[in-house]
Amino acid sequence: MLPVAVDAMGGDLAPQPNLDGAHAAALAGTPVVLVGPEGLEGLTSGGSTLGLIHASEVIGMLDDPAQGVRRKKDSTLVRAAEAVRDGKASAMISAGNTGATMAAALLRMGRISGVKRPAIATPIPVPGTTPTVLLDAGANAEVQPEWLVQFALMGAVYARRRFGIENPRVGLLSIGEEPGKGDTLRKAAHPLLAAAPGLNFIGNVEGRDVMSDDVDVCVTDGFTGNVVLKTLEGGMQAVIGALLEAFAQPDYKEHADALMPALLPLYETLNPDTYGGAVLLGVDGVCIIAHGSSSARAIENGINVARDLVEHDMVTEIREAIAAAAPAD
Amino acid sequence: MAAEIKRDEVLKIVRDALSDILEIEPDTISEGQSFADDLEADSLALIELVEALEEALSDRVDGFRIEDEDLEDLKTVRDAVDYVHEHAND
Repeated sequence: MLPVAVDAMGGDLAPQPNLDGAHAAALAGTPVVLVGPEGLEGLTSGGSTLGLIHASEVIGMLDDPAQGVRRKKDSTLVRAAEAVRDGKASAMISAGNTGATMAAALLRMGRISGVKRPAIATPIPVPGTTPTVLLDAGANAEVQPEWLVQFALMGAVYARRRFGIENPRVGLLSIGEEPGKGDTLRKAAHPLLAAAPGLNFIGNVEGRDVMSDDVDVCVTDGFTGNVVLKTLEGGMQAVIGALLEAFAQPDYKEHADALMPALLPLYETLNPDTYGGAVLLGVDGVCIIAHGSSSARAIENGINVARDLVEHDMVTEIREAIAAAAPAD
Repeated sequence: MAAEIKRDEVLKIVRDALSDILEIEPDTISEGQSFADDLEADSLALIELVEALEEALSDRVDGFRIEDEDLEDLKTVRDAVDYVHEHAND
């Protein structure tokens, strides 16, 4: 397969985690090409030598996304998206400016025909089972009811291809399970989702269901989705921090040590690095949006996710799902 | 000098581009419509429109470009058509 293009300069800690993650993925057998400045150091490491697509500019974390893509045409993000568009890379991944990653992918790769708006799909860990796919996690603060149907269709394809869930249960995030619960958007979207062909719609779900085994794909607008995502991240960090503090107490240390073998797999499940980032669904290519503070392991996992989605031809399946759901002329 | 691009042609180019981007019928797009309020085009959709217009006119107008600082003045379809018509024929 074509290499996965890695934005070498994206992220708070760039370029080191991107380089280390890229080398680890390459050594494990996934072809990788870096996108970064000429003379980037560290292209060879531990028996792995990576190719480089030159890009002289970087869109910063605080740059306006769309303007950044317009003005910095030789930026790593734009060049990575162009590499996918031009058939030089199979997919792209960046831990940089999320909005700019989205804009670069949208403007350079283009949208899949029929897709109203791309959406960010984020796996939310669920202890003991496969993650729940939450979308939109922040691409579209305001949405139309019809867009939520497309988000559901795309999210279901992603859950199937990424996590092997054959018939994903799709829920509409609201403030009550009954169909009439929620605001105008939710009330309008519910019957559309219920009528959508090929969708296993289970009705409304609530915030407490997101981290449960009751739903596989959780659909919402980007504003709510981002609030849910950040609330869960903050909540999990607070709980883990409090647990670690308690375990460090001399009175409990021995017991904590005994519990560690049971707790470490849970920590692994809850660790965002395990999932390698979010995916931008609806663009005509695979684009992984990694967390700004991604570790090398997160980047490596994100590269592997990209490879899986390319090998499973997720984009084609999304195209078919959107076309099948389009109203007849 | 390149042939003048008529305003009707520009309107068609703008309508076709908006139709592709917003996935709506070109006939439903009128000059008086506001991008934000009537067409619900967000900032990214407007950037898509700008890039599409630059691409569509690149063969006919050498170096045609919509300046980023002018973008905030383009509130309606008519604004965009007038802007492109004027600058494409400079």
